[in-house]
Amino acid sequence: MEKITGSQALMRSLVREGVDTIFGYPGGAIMPVYDALYDFKDKIRHVLVRHEQGASHAAEGYSRLAGKPGVCIVTSGPGATNLVTGIADAMGDSVPIVCITGQVAMAALGTDAFQEAPIIGIVTPITKWCYQVTNAQEIPEIVARAFRIATSGRPGPVLIDITKNAQIELCDFHLPIKKYVYKHVTKSFKRKLRAAADLLNSAQRPYILMGHGVALAKAEEAMQKLAEKGNFPVASTLLGLSSMATNHPLYMGMLGMHGNYGPNKLTNKADVILAIGMRFDDRVTGKVSEYAKDAKIIHVDIDNAELHKVVKTEIAIHADAKDFLEQLLPLIKTRQRHDWIKAFHDFDREEKKVVVDAELRPKSGEITMAEVIRILSEKTKGKAVIVADVGQHQMVAARYYGFRTPDSYITSGGLGTMGFALPAAIGAKLGNPKREVIAVIGDGGFQMTLQELGTIAQEGLSIKIVILNNRFLGMVRQWQELFFDERYSFVHMDNPDFNKIADGYSIPNELVKNRKDLNGAINRLLKSKKSYLLDVRVKKDENVFPMIPSGAAVDEIRLK
Amino acid sequence: MTTYRYIITIHSKNAPGTLYRIAGLLLRKKINIESLHVDEFDPVKHISHFTIEIILERGLMEKLIKQIDRVIEVTRAEYRVKKTNGKSKS
Repeated sequence: MEKITGSQALMRSLVREGVDTIFGYPGGAIMPVYDALYDFKDKIRHVLVRHEQGASHAAEGYSRLAGKPGVCIVTSGPGATNLVTGIADAMGDSVPIVCITGQVAMAALGTDAFQEAPIIGIVTPITKWCYQVTNAQEIPEIVARAFRIATSGRPGPVLIDITKNAQIELCDFHLPIKKYVYKHVTKSFKRKLRAAADLLNSAQRPYILMGHGVALAKAEEAMQKLAEKGNFPVASTLLGLSSMATNHPLYMGMLGMHGNYGPNKLTNKADVILAIGMRFDDRVTGKVSEYAKDAKIIHVDIDNAELHKVVKTEIAIHADAKDFLEQLLPLIKTRQRHDWIKAFHDFDREEKKVVVDAELRPKSGEITMAEVIRILSEKTKGKAVIVADVGQHQMVAARYYGFRTPDSYITSGGLGTMGFALPAAIGAKLGNPKREVIAVIGDGGFQMTLQELGTIAQEGLSIKIVILNNRFLGMVRQWQELFFDERYSFVHMDNPDFNKIADGYSIPNELVKNRKDLNGAINRLLKSKKSYLLDVRVKKDENVFPMIPSGAAVDEIRLK
Repeated sequence: MTTYRYIITIHSKNAPGTLYRIAGLLLRKKINIESLHVDEFDPVKHISHFTIEIILERGLMEKLIKQIDRVIEVTRAEYRVKKTNGKSKS
């Protein structure tokens, strides 16, 4: 049998898994792998990030648009520990990524060797699976297992730590023939299907809550068909956004702390709730004891551990969203629900009158975040990919971008990682180069990972960057205003000149301070073939409403 | 709050890090391990057998066991109440 090094075996294994893009950063303990990568330059595009955290977020963005796991390769010690935030982020949002870290040689393990970090010990609680390879012979099988585990069932991050000796030693290369299937095999839910259909058919006020699981299962079409057949109003979680077009007559808006008025209020009026691929996050439920009090809940999730975790459900179904929706469809009866749907529209009108209109089309004063998103949405016809960072702008983008196609909103939902958007946009663009990728970022988050402008410049990527700059950590400032007696504790930022920074990376850019310049600037941003950055100065003390105050019930949502 | 003494039995692949991963699930909810026993239950298939005793509020055990069962290496996870009428500690 052919003898090759562990590093060469790793490259062949990655190619076999369909890997053509890697986000990485070399260093001492991963050098044999980088040497092997040199011979695979025609098969694998390596994207040199500027910080390993960027590699992990880029892998997440890539995974969301490419439909296969993002891969990052970094060195041991600080290289590995810098991945931690991205790994935890991927765990929080069920994003399949495969992280490969170098490690000191097996003989040096546990000796506090140079750049040694016990990365398996560090990432175990925040990975779906991780494994330390100390012998080259293990590599083909472990890589195959890692990809299967990352993508099967509820997806998630995996990490393979490879000691330096295992990268250098020779092994017999053979591709594993065993097909690995992991625990996602769900029990038959046929019996429960009938019960779920009966509950939905007999409901007066049925309501569908869709989460990220709908997109992960590619169940967007099945979801829409079910809603249309039963005339079920649908609301989305933050990560479920864009799985249904926002102009669909049955799409009612977003759930949660800064979601829409009706979808939150009416959660407590529904009599049957069908929750698909969502996990009743605390930002969605508000006070759990007051949540969906009148509803019988049907909860469908591919992860058994999510069922009955937060709310008591009438029917808990352990299933893939698409399988479930397709099998449920023939059992659903068509019924008109004018009054129930009108209830959503009534709340929607109220929200428009009190909040939305003034934000989207202000007549005077400083630029609002909402009008920037509105103009982006209109000019891209709702077809761009919005990669949002974390904070007020994230909520505004979620609320006001008119999504028309699936997989169009990428953000850090579960972990809420500031600094996510810029590197994730790099991954998203490489995951699907045909799509227009717009990173919407606050001035705070931008400064957490702005070094990745270097990656964008070096790779010649076309990524549109819109900084909604209010010179504040806006979401924290909003909480301090509302709940901490306006004691503004360390939320003001003296920012650098973002335009000069962009100039430094040769990225075309503009500063927008006045409303009259906004339209033209966004035109130039979207027309540009190259990357383009806008620093948009927005209203300093804007608050995001509606809002469910922390600890309040969903129907205590406030419009001001 | 009424608490119970539970005995958890787990079968898993005999692999380094499995105990650590399970212990991590207990740690994140600040659950103390009262007693622990691990041995190789099936030397041919390399299956480990864990017996873990913990004290936990009623109602949390079902969630915990599902999270243990979700661990890739775990092939079986079950629990029982050690003292059926025991309000052992609060």
